[in-house]
Amino acid sequence: MTVNGKAVTADVEDRTLLVQLLREQLGLTGTHVGCDTSQCGACVVHVNGASVKSCSVLAAQCNNAKVLTIEGLADSQALHPMQQAFKDNHGLQCGFCTPGMIMSAIDLVQNNPDPTDAEIRDWLEGNICRCTGYQNIVSSIQAGARMMQSR
Amino acid sequence: MAQVSPHTRFGLGAALTRTEDFRLLTGQGRYTDDNAPDNALHGFVLRSPYAHARFKITDLTAAKDAPGVRAVLCADDLDSMNDLTCSTLMKQPDGSMPAPRDIPILCRDSVHHVGDAIAFVVAESIYQARDASELIELDFEPLAAVADTAQALDDGVAPVFEGATSNLAYTHFEGDKAATDAAFAQAAKVAEIKLVNNRLICNYMEPRACVVQWQPDDDAFTVHLASQGVHGLRDTLAKVTNIAADKIRVITEDVGGGFGTKVFCYREYPLCMAAARLLGRTVRWTSDRSEHFLQDAHGRDNVTTARMAMDKDGKFLAIEVDLIAAMGAYLHAFGPFIPYLGVSMTTGAYDIPTMAVTTRGVFTNTTPVDAYRGAGRPEAAYVIERLVDQCALQHGCSVDEIRRRNFIQPEQFPYTTPAGRTYDVGEFEQHMSLCMERADWSGFSQRLSAAKRTGCLRGIGMSTYIEACAFSGSEPAFMQLQADGSCVLKIGTQSNGQGHETAYAQIAAAELGMDYEDVHVQQGDTATLPTGGGTGGSRSLPLGGASSLRAGRTLANNIRTIAGRELQTDPDNIVLEEGSAKVRGGNEFLSLAEIAALGTPAELNTQGEFQQAEATYPNGTHICEVDIELATGVTRVVSYTIVDDFGVTVNPMLLQGQIHGGVVQGIGQCLMEHVVYNDDAQLLSATLMDYALPRADDIPHFHFETRNVPSITNELGIKGAGEAGTIGSCPAVMNAVSDALLREFGHGQIDMPVTPLSMWQKLNSLRDRADV
Ligand code: FES
Ligand code: FES
Repeated sequence: MTVNGKAVTADVEDRTLLVQLLREQLGLTGTHVGCDTSQCGACVVHVNGASVKSCSVLAAQCNNAKVLTIEGLADSQALHPMQQAFKDNHGLQCGFCTPGMIMSAIDLVQNNPDPTDAEIRDWLEGNICRCTGYQNIVSSIQAGARMMQSR
Repeated sequence: MAQVSPHTRFGLGAALTRTEDFRLLTGQGRYTDDNAPDNALHGFVLRSPYAHARFKITDLTAAKDAPGVRAVLCADDLDSMNDLTCSTLMKQPDGSMPAPRDIPILCRDSVHHVGDAIAFVVAESIYQARDASELIELDFEPLAAVADTAQALDDGVAPVFEGATSNLAYTHFEGDKAATDAAFAQAAKVAEIKLVNNRLICNYMEPRACVVQWQPDDDAFTVHLASQGVHGLRDTLAKVTNIAADKIRVITEDVGGGFGTKVFCYREYPLCMAAARLLGRTVRWTSDRSEHFLQDAHGRDNVTTARMAMDKDGKFLAIEVDLIAAMGAYLHAFGPFIPYLGVSMTTGAYDIPTMAVTTRGVFTNTTPVDAYRGAGRPEAAYVIERLVDQCALQHGCSVDEIRRRNFIQPEQFPYTTPAGRTYDVGEFEQHMSLCMERADWSGFSQRLSAAKRTGCLRGIGMSTYIEACAFSGSEPAFMQLQADGSCVLKIGTQSNGQGHETAYAQIAAAELGMDYEDVHVQQGDTATLPTGGGTGGSRSLPLGGASSLRAGRTLANNIRTIAGRELQTDPDNIVLEEGSAKVRGGNEFLSLAEIAALGTPAELNTQGEFQQAEATYPNGTHICEVDIELATGVTRVVSYTIVDDFGVTVNPMLLQGQIHGGVVQGIGQCLMEHVVYNDDAQLLSATLMDYALPRADDIPHFHFETRNVPSITNELGIKGAGEAGTIGSCPAVMNAVSDALLREFGHGQIDMPVTPLSMWQKLNSLRDRADV
């Protein structure tokens, strides 16, 4: 498979989850594990362009897939517009949920370029944040959507 | 008092974006588990499936022989270790101290709650460790258990500790019983309320973790763990393991939320130390979410009866509180202190001449209870603010009118409460009036009618809370001008996401006339920081912020001295701006890098320490409106307005974030979060499938503003804000729910959490009552 544009080969046990491959074998620790019941969304990455909870998919299922993680978004020092919007709008505090939020938000905006407040809140059903109270995340995603459009 | 300008680019009051964000946004954050080296061993804790049982480990052979297993530790292997102790036993009314109930690192022959630790398996992979733990042969003899706080002291209830005669952990009294009795005897009216403050589980998004390396050469340890301050943890680890503190280096890098519950030393840290030394390998442990539910300290869990004596004008004469506080199965580090902290705020923002508060701490076969965001103060605000609404009802006036009659008035400050706290300043009525205006309190009836047309009850409620922050003490800051002209600021608090790197830097940078991004804040390493009090009680900015300002100011003075010496002018002629030291009105200047090359070490290294004598007292008004859908019982917060007094704002953007997050934790407690044990004390809500956390679509858009009255206790006028949102929110939401029910049925009492089921049942019982 490719991860962040680079070809990757790895030997994994059948039961190895995608998130374990990313974190433990590839050292991509930006993708987080917040739960064990597929509820929190801290682990969201893109597989073939769509957001996926990497704790809920086996590494072996991603054979030949294109995987994009938070580490692959920024272009060296320039943040992706969605990352920049989270910074500008204080959309993160501890930052633990943030990689999942951003990967999830980008998927939303790819399919809905101008989401309303309610659409964003609805979309984030699978992403839990314990710090921000969500308001600044919603503002960040709206700002990020605008910046992605004008890019 | 510092100058406060909301318009400065730097310094207090500027809404600067955060310096920590770049790494957190790009996946380069360093949370504890990210530090594990490839070859680290994995530890797994075998936990009790029973709430109360005797047990024997009958055979370890299969587990020890399982693939990849390197060690299996039991209580017998830990003879050199001490238990985790409670540091806050409370004196009882007869002057005696209660007996401790310490937490064994591993249980030897009995377990007292589901999740109590039995053995520690260390293997090459986490799967191997888990698999092997299932091969440990155990004989359990289950015993009767109790989980319910209200019933823990009833006759015939099983004792949590075999042989104990009761589940009473301790009794504590605050106030003046005789004066309170006398006030009740002459009261024109008495209002009473019974409340359950439901048990919560913190649920920071980053589960706890640790990574322990042992250096055989000097028998020393490096312990990476997720904490709220490394120094306190190092000292506890030293006490538990009998290893000298200077042999234990504790490091905390990024932390994914703490909320009070990551302050503590938990069993897995000394267990990893023992295994690392035994095996000579790095040992890591990471909690999974279910373990978080079973092992990390729980929060709240109070059963309270409160009564207020009033005169004929509705003026408060005395308050009496009977509080049963759950301790869980052991006395946790600050366990008994948490209810006390609440008790010390019993009278809230009101002028109440006397109080009598009896606290009974009780054992149940449940995970121990300790600090969770607000730690006692949310419980206290909940009691007084709900009781005050009840007083309004009893007296027959509005909820704002009863408050106006009883608020401590501005001219009464400094005001000492019956619990002995001294409030420095406050303008409670003005905050309430402004918040009512912002929330369009007077226009409520139209919104009520509109809601009715959609099949909903609507209620409005407020809380005019006050809380205690920062407390007496200090948090020294250490600054150093670096060779490249940037600065390092070291301080022993610990950001858990609040944005310390930015907030401290912006305070210090303003003194130095430099960009805040050139002040690098360092926390979280006992090897590089001499001391530190950690983060808790919203203390970081009031104490650490003032110390940072002092350290920055001293460094700025030294820089002027160095520049004056070099440029042969009076230091007073030197101005610091744009990262350089300039001669006032001239062209000559030195860059800070040049200054760093010219100064002596004593000049380039400064320390600032502000000692605070009392707590600070943030306060404010929250107003909430709820809709209750009659067809489904679903309760939704539809509008939420906040006007707070935090004294002085350091960074309005970070402040707003703290408030939003805190309020949502409060709304979570009111509407969904709930720890459920069954009668056998099995934890039923042990995953995020069973324990509901607020999600984006459960939460409305907030209106938040400050109306600051600077503190005169704190050097910078700051009062602290980390916990305030959680403290103000629960009573506001529940007063609104109660208001909705009262308007419709004339009865309003319902406990948290107001889930669709509990509301549905309540609506049915109220309708039945109305039918009779
Ligand atoms: S880790 Fe929680 S959903 Fe994947
Ligand atoms: S920023 Fe901490 S969980 Fe979202």
